[in-house]
Amino acid sequence: MSTPVLETENLVKVYGRGPAQFHALKGLTFEIHRGESVAIVGKSGSGKSTLMHLLALLDEPTSGVVALDGRPVSKLKPKTVSALRNETFGFVFQQFFLNPNQTVLENVTLPLKIGGVSKSERDKRGMDALEQLEMADKAKNKATDLSGGQKQRVCIARALINNPEVLFADEPTGNLDSATSETVEDILLNLQRNHGITLVVVTHDEDLASKCQRRLIMQDGEIVEEQTGVRASSSHKAPVTAGHGAPESRRRRRILPFGKGAAR
Amino acid sequence: MKSLDVTKSALSNTLRSKLRTALTVIAIVIGAFTLTLTSGLGAGINQTVDRIFGGFGEDDAIYVVPQVEADAQEQDGPAEYDPDAGAEMDSGFGTGMLSASDVETIEGLDYVVGVDTEVAAQIEYVEAPDGTQYQAQFDFALNDVLAEFAAGGAPDRTAMEITIPEDWLEIYGADDPDDVLGETLIVAAPNAVGQTSDIEAEVVGVTQGTLAGVGFTPIPSVALAEEVADINAEGFEGQMPEAYIMAAAEIENLEQNEEAVKEALAEEGLWGLTVEDQIAMFEAVIDAITWILSGFALIALLAASFGIVNTLLMSVQERTREIGLMKALGMSRAKVFSLFSMEAVMIGIMGSVVGVGLGLATGFITDGFLTAEDGPLGGFAELSVFGVDPLAIGGIFLLIIIIAFLAGTLPAARAAKKDPIEALRYE
Repeated sequence: MSTPVLETENLVKVYGRGPAQFHALKGLTFEIHRGESVAIVGKSGSGKSTLMHLLALLDEPTSGVVALDGRPVSKLKPKTVSALRNETFGFVFQQFFLNPNQTVLENVTLPLKIGGVSKSERDKRGMDALEQLEMADKAKNKATDLSGGQKQRVCIARALINNPEVLFADEPTGNLDSATSETVEDILLNLQRNHGITLVVVTHDEDLASKCQRRLIMQDGEIVEEQTGVRASSSHKAPVTAGHGAPESRRRRRILPFGKGAAR
Repeated sequence: MKSLDVTKSALSNTLRSKLRTALTVIAIVIGAFTLTLTSGLGAGINQTVDRIFGGFGEDDAIYVVPQVEADAQEQDGPAEYDPDAGAEMDSGFGTGMLSASDVETIEGLDYVVGVDTEVAAQIEYVEAPDGTQYQAQFDFALNDVLAEFAAGGAPDRTAMEITIPEDWLEIYGADDPDDVLGETLIVAAPNAVGQTSDIEAEVVGVTQGTLAGVGFTPIPSVALAEEVADINAEGFEGQMPEAYIMAAAEIENLEQNEEAVKEALAEEGLWGLTVEDQIAMFEAVIDAITWILSGFALIALLAASFGIVNTLLMSVQERTREIGLMKALGMSRAKVFSLFSMEAVMIGIMGSVVGVGLGLATGFITDGFLTAEDGPLGGFAELSVFGVDPLAIGGIFLLIIIIAFLAGTLPAARAAKKDPIEALRYE
């Protein structure tokens, strides 16, 4: 087995106090391996979003441990955690969260700007990322001028710009029609398969979940079932099973640049 | 995030809702404008004073007047008449005059090398060479050092000389002040019984009025004033007490002995002032007025700072999503804080640049209008009512930026505190 990029041990999250207390997570212990694609599936209120927030270091658990690359993060300073998120993670949101006042390129390069990368370097890498997602011609457009599918591709470009180890996608297809959904799903899974990015998807979309290598089915703050293996056949011929075990995907590889159209 | 990027982002964020920013900026502009005007007014007048008196650095005299008794105001009811005390009153104490014995005392002090006295000189009229008579009053002879000359210079204190104000040129039919130098002015002095005697005085200077009030009337030489006073005293029955309005004590090595002489004067119940002291007193009044006016401008700025708080709080509220996203993508609390306080500073900078610019323009235009040759304040020599004090302008910028920054801390702290999960929650 490869090194677990993310591990949890007895993860508990409790909201509120006293009689109004709500146990969102009731002690979860699991591992996510490097290069793996994992879907966290469950109905709303099952705790899947809470779990993702804890994994993505956006929130702190009430008790239990989250470890990144074998290092527990709960003891780190907020500033270190922020820097870690900036360098290690990519985020794709259901609601896109693009800044309507800025151009597509500015939106895509935001993580680099936060990370303190120079403007010329930002723009170069931003254009590479947009090219990879075939959005280069929209670079100068305002983010509001795009269709839903285009917006989500811009979001993915933004998530990829800092060569993340882990890509978190929160209901990435929740706002898209089925045809566009499929494209976005393929882009995400392709990144995981061909570029060694660990993909963590939170969804209640059966179709998307079934394309992931592992599914954690959640109910009432607990993982009630764990399924492995891709169930439905994907439109791609590339073998995906046990892909994470391949030696070349063990080490973190640069994502950019890779062939144009690869993300189709 | 680099500081340059923080600054650029802050600038573009403030320009996002232009109307709101503009309204907030206007409030700052009003404060900055007023501050620039009030400080410029003070600077202008003080610069005028410095310019006018700047040339009198070599003056080594201390001007002596009787000390005003502090308890003079506080006595209960009228003092009882004391015939013995009255006999000593050769100086008319309380009328602010120096007695002959006072002058002797001054002459007897250490470091005093000479004393000139100012006598009260009454004149009936002055007469131009063509025979026309004009009503007139003398300025103090010892004020000659404070005068500003359009032509010529101060009268020789021992000669029968006089200066005339600039607007008197017409009695000689002259336009150029230089033309009247050497002309004669006849001074008619009345004696105690109302007869007048004429004294011829040579015009040696033409004065311009100054802010100290000197130079609006003819300044006689000390000798001329004494001559007039002597005529005034003619025919007076009994002993005319000698009284002097003030005395100018020439001091040896003034800079070192100034304090010693002043202390000695104070012990004698006299009050000594150098020209510099007089300037300082004048400037202190101007400064006090400037500060009071600036106080009002500061109140305007205080009000404006709440505008900044309000605008930024709205902005933070509206941009909850964006803040959450930035924090999720790894922006630290400190950077979020600095981004929003930088927006406040940007508003401060915009307001102060526009306000100070407008203030300077208004100040100089108004000054040009007021002190023009035929303007309402044109009669004062070298007067400017507006000046630029680079230190004050820099201070205004700094003050406004500090106020803006302080106003921005509350909204910025709010923004920094936002929880990315709350901010990004979609419902």
